[in-house]
Amino acid sequence: MTDERRATRALIGLLALELVAFSFLGHNFLTLGNGFEVVRASVEIGLLALALTAVIATGGIDLSVGSLLGLCAVVFGWLARDAGVAVPLAALCAVLTGALGGLLNGWLVTSLRLPPLIVTLGTYSLFRGLAEAATGGVANYTGFPAGFLGLGQGTLAGGIPAQLPVLLAAFLFFWTLVHRSVAGRGLEAIGYAPEAARHAGIPVGARLRLVYLLAGIAAGIAALVYVARLGQAKADAGTGFELLAITAVVLGGTSIFGGRASVAGTLVGLFVLALLQNGLRLADQPAELAGILTGMLLLLALALSRERKAP
Amino acid sequence: MTRRAPCVLLLLATAACGRGGGGSATDAITVALMPKNKGNPYFVSCRQGALEAAQELGVKLLWDGPTETDAARQNEVVEAWITRGVDAIAVSVENREGLSTVLRKARGRGIKVLTFDADALPDARDFFVNQATPRGIAETLLEHTSRILGGSGDFAIVTASLTAANQNEWIREIRELLQSKHQGLELVDIRPSDDDRKRAFDETQALLKAYPSVRVVMAIASPAVPGAAEAVKQSGRTDVKVTGLGLPNDARPYLKDGVLDSVVLWNTKDLGYLTLYAAQALKRGTLAPGATSFAAGRLGTLRVEGDNVLLGTPFTFTKHNVDRFDF
Repeated sequence: MTDERRATRALIGLLALELVAFSFLGHNFLTLGNGFEVVRASVEIGLLALALTAVIATGGIDLSVGSLLGLCAVVFGWLARDAGVAVPLAALCAVLTGALGGLLNGWLVTSLRLPPLIVTLGTYSLFRGLAEAATGGVANYTGFPAGFLGLGQGTLAGGIPAQLPVLLAAFLFFWTLVHRSVAGRGLEAIGYAPEAARHAGIPVGARLRLVYLLAGIAAGIAALVYVARLGQAKADAGTGFELLAITAVVLGGTSIFGGRASVAGTLVGLFVLALLQNGLRLADQPAELAGILTGMLLLLALALSRERKAP
Repeated sequence: MTRRAPCVLLLLATAACGRGGGGSATDAITVALMPKNKGNPYFVSCRQGALEAAQELGVKLLWDGPTETDAARQNEVVEAWITRGVDAIAVSVENREGLSTVLRKARGRGIKVLTFDADALPDARDFFVNQATPRGIAETLLEHTSRILGGSGDFAIVTASLTAANQNEWIREIRELLQSKHQGLELVDIRPSDDDRKRAFDETQALLKAYPSVRVVMAIASPAVPGAAEAVKQSGRTDVKVTGLGLPNDARPYLKDGVLDSVVLWNTKDLGYLTLYAAQALKRGTLAPGATSFAAGRLGTLRVEGDNVLLGTPFTFTKHNVDRFDF
């Protein structure tokens, strides 16, 4: 427990450091407007990262969430634009697609006893492949109604991005699940020692199926926010999001080996990454530099988490 | 915590040190240019032209965009430029509707907005730097066809897909010019390639069998050019030539073989150069709505039609000049 606290506190320190550094280096970095834009651009990856925190807590991983986001986006776009389905129904179908994808992952992991890394590496290709096949890689669905686009582009009172409540709701949900529920205790136990968890009477299979299902649903919801923000649904939606989401989770202090998770840490990790990208742009630095610095941060975080384990 | 701080400072220092130079000239205009894809040689040469113009004009040039075609990243970069505060933004638009929302927001904040290469919705930008008009492309393509055929004969078109908007506009202009100017030329068929080289190859083979009289294949999508040229080459028909619209790198081997007579495109370096000049002129007020021409450095005085700044007639790549280009 104190380990997590310490990791989170170190991360908050890092976040503060970014804020200070970029407020000198960047143009108009430390403004409320910029803060809201950073939040707006982070919601999709944030949703994936929150759901992945629960998956990684069990010692699992889900590499397919970015691809599943793409598939859900295409399903939504096709239904809403070409099939003439009402937007709310199309949105529901997109989330259901995500749920089905998550169920498939959970089933493969629990019933076939395959390692999650391999399973989701397979579905990573499968989901993206389906999205590309369905659209020939070229179809780009646009022209969604303004009411729907408001979810991604609109603002609430005071300039708050319209999608912020979605992220907050997901945060509360996963925080409660992982840190305040009986099921959540089980997740960390599974990650720590799966066999022991089984002997202790934790329904391991059911718990695992639950976390992969939730990751799929999160991918579906993230797809809707993504499509609303950009006004387009294309098969390449969400490419590479899974890696950014995993980075946020690990930065946030969740052990990649499972057994220890911090949902709040994930959120801080998310903003460390987002502020890095945003700050570099406002300092007229190319976005590639963000990749280098993100990599270094992640390695640093991993090294520190090893250090804590050793003694 | 205290032990970690130095490492983190080091990280941020790395970010900071790249920043020297440039930033000091506070009164200089800042123009931000965004390609669809930073790594694409097409845009790399646009950037060379833009850099040249930026040096001539003393403008601070920001050049950033996705490292591979990625509409989401384009939105994020423009958002950041709005927050940062730049004088003008010029974008080659990947996603018309999605990006237009952000570009409108930029205009709302008093930033001058242009598009180049690929346009946004008209109300989302002040001017579009148009690399080539459909009429100009059609004219140049038909001039090459007519030259190869000696003024009369049959030709066929291999297009992108039968619904591709750009290509269909060019075909419409070609048909008009066939009526008014090139009556000796006969367009016998139009085949789709779906922007796929293999499909263009198959369609061209079928075309040559179906219409033995065809002496020119006009391939008007960039993957269709090498596809059509390969089909003609393998057919052994030395009396058939290919011309079209495409990229010099795709065309190079076939231009040298002699199967491909010429490819038409525009000079991408000049496109970047012109875009920067237009952005500066727009900010300074020398390019304003209603203008009919404007002076663009070494390119001379260029025409402005409505809200389009025209780069001029398309550029023709032949075996003689193709090695000067790499995209």
